[in-house]
Amino acid sequence: MSRFIKKMSRRAIVQALIALPALSLFRNQPAPANPDEIDRDEIVEINGWILRRSDLA
Amino acid sequence: MIFDSYEAYKQADFKPKVCILGSGPAGTTIARKLGAAGIPVVVLEAGSREFSDESQDFYRGKTVGDFYFDLDITRLRFMGGSSNHWAGWCRVLDSQDFEPKAWAPDTGWPISRADIEPYLKEVHDILELPDFRPDVPVSDDIRWVQLIKSPAVRFGEKFADELDRSKNIAIVLNTYATELIGDGKRVTGAKLWSNGQDAGTFSADYFVTCTGGLENSRLLLWSNERSNGGVVPNAAALGRYWMEHPTFEGGNAILANYSEFEVDASNEAFFSPTLAAMERLQIMNFGIRLIESPYPNVKKLIADLACTAPNMAEWMSSQLDQRLRCAAQLYVAWEQAPLASNQIELSKTDVDHAGVPRIELHWKKSPLERRTLLEGLRLFGTTLAQKNLGRVRIDDWISNGGDYPTNEETAGHHHMGGTRMGTDVLKSVVDANCRVHGMDNLYVGGSSVFCTSGQCNPTTTITALACRLGEHLGKVISV
Repeated sequence: MSRFIKKMSRRAIVQALIALPALSLFRNQPAPANPDEIDRDEIVEINGWILRRSDLA
Repeated sequence: MIFDSYEAYKQADFKPKVCILGSGPAGTTIARKLGAAGIPVVVLEAGSREFSDESQDFYRGKTVGDFYFDLDITRLRFMGGSSNHWAGWCRVLDSQDFEPKAWAPDTGWPISRADIEPYLKEVHDILELPDFRPDVPVSDDIRWVQLIKSPAVRFGEKFADELDRSKNIAIVLNTYATELIGDGKRVTGAKLWSNGQDAGTFSADYFVTCTGGLENSRLLLWSNERSNGGVVPNAAALGRYWMEHPTFEGGNAILANYSEFEVDASNEAFFSPTLAAMERLQIMNFGIRLIESPYPNVKKLIADLACTAPNMAEWMSSQLDQRLRCAAQLYVAWEQAPLASNQIELSKTDVDHAGVPRIELHWKKSPLERRTLLEGLRLFGTTLAQKNLGRVRIDDWISNGGDYPTNEETAGHHHMGGTRMGTDVLKSVVDANCRVHGMDNLYVGGSSVFCTSGQCNPTTTITALACRLGEHLGKVISV
């Protein structure tokens, strides 16, 4: 492993590190929500308003 | 009997057993109780029958800390005391207000609500109140509570004829007790100031100070200083734990059906937290008052809502077409956490015309209270949204942690604490019977004995405590 890294240029290592967050593996995002699973009664606070999520439709 | 001067009183040769200082709700109620029990009592009132600028000047003082009203504006110094500008809102402290709160130090009373309940029938007669209805739970977090708008009894006016006819009660006007004299066990007399000069020393077997939630502390601090601790032997808490009900407009509400909440003639309704909600969020008690919004405000509110929730705004707009009463301004008054640092001190530089140091009031609202304001509005807003009763918008300065506005109500003119009730002499001044710790014959009446303030106006509780103290004193004296 270390031999492999030694053979890589410094530039290539930096480019790889920059690209890492773009991989979905490293992204902290939930799977696209199923509209059926959205809690329409959830209370949300937006611009000072205390609303139900369904109010935002 | 009512005397317009101390000189006139002296000629009557009246021999009182009890001397009460102050003729406000507490002083008048205690005097009437004692008089009815056949105990001769004198009430020394510093002011006259009517308001005067000269009398009010004795109340001037200074506030250090948060913005507060001028001290000669926030109370009244004439017969009937501050009942003369009372708005008339009535409610007794809740049972939960008497209980200690683990999340707020120095809360809890040595008595419970049950200790004053036997006097509520009497209080209703005095304040001309109908019966209170029980609180209505709106959710697990919010109660719809009742504050009754009473006829705002002016004690000086209402009871003047009765007091004048009484053979056991002497009201002496224009007579200012500048100082109590004590030997560490008993008060032996009160120094008087009348007609612009010293008027000698007054003696009685018992003394009860009912001079108000600021003045009781001032009188006892000054007396104690002059008597080298002979009036309040345990003075660590004297003047401390002073409280108000900070009051600010906190936001607006759109209501699905305004008339769903029974409102009184002034179209106002009140909401408070449950104890469970206070415990969960670790906040103090509060009261949210709904005041009907004027029409232009409602239109602005709908326009604001349209930016966030267009459909909701459309629904609101249709509501407005059907009924004009559909939105309210939310005023929040809350319970202050009792803090020893909120205290009344004697000015080192400024004295009144009789030479008594004026008040220097140190008062600041705490972070816990700020959290109470925000979380209280969130609780209320969440309840309204969950139950589909309406929607709430919290004012930006609250959501964004801005400064308290200085152009609003600020507080309720409710002066509480300073001579608080308790068992620990380091944290209280009077015992459960309102007797000053260590003193045989000195009692305190009024809201200065409050340990906590709850969220409601204090006059109803003041009057109940005064009935209780009057009855207690009657028993002590009769033995």
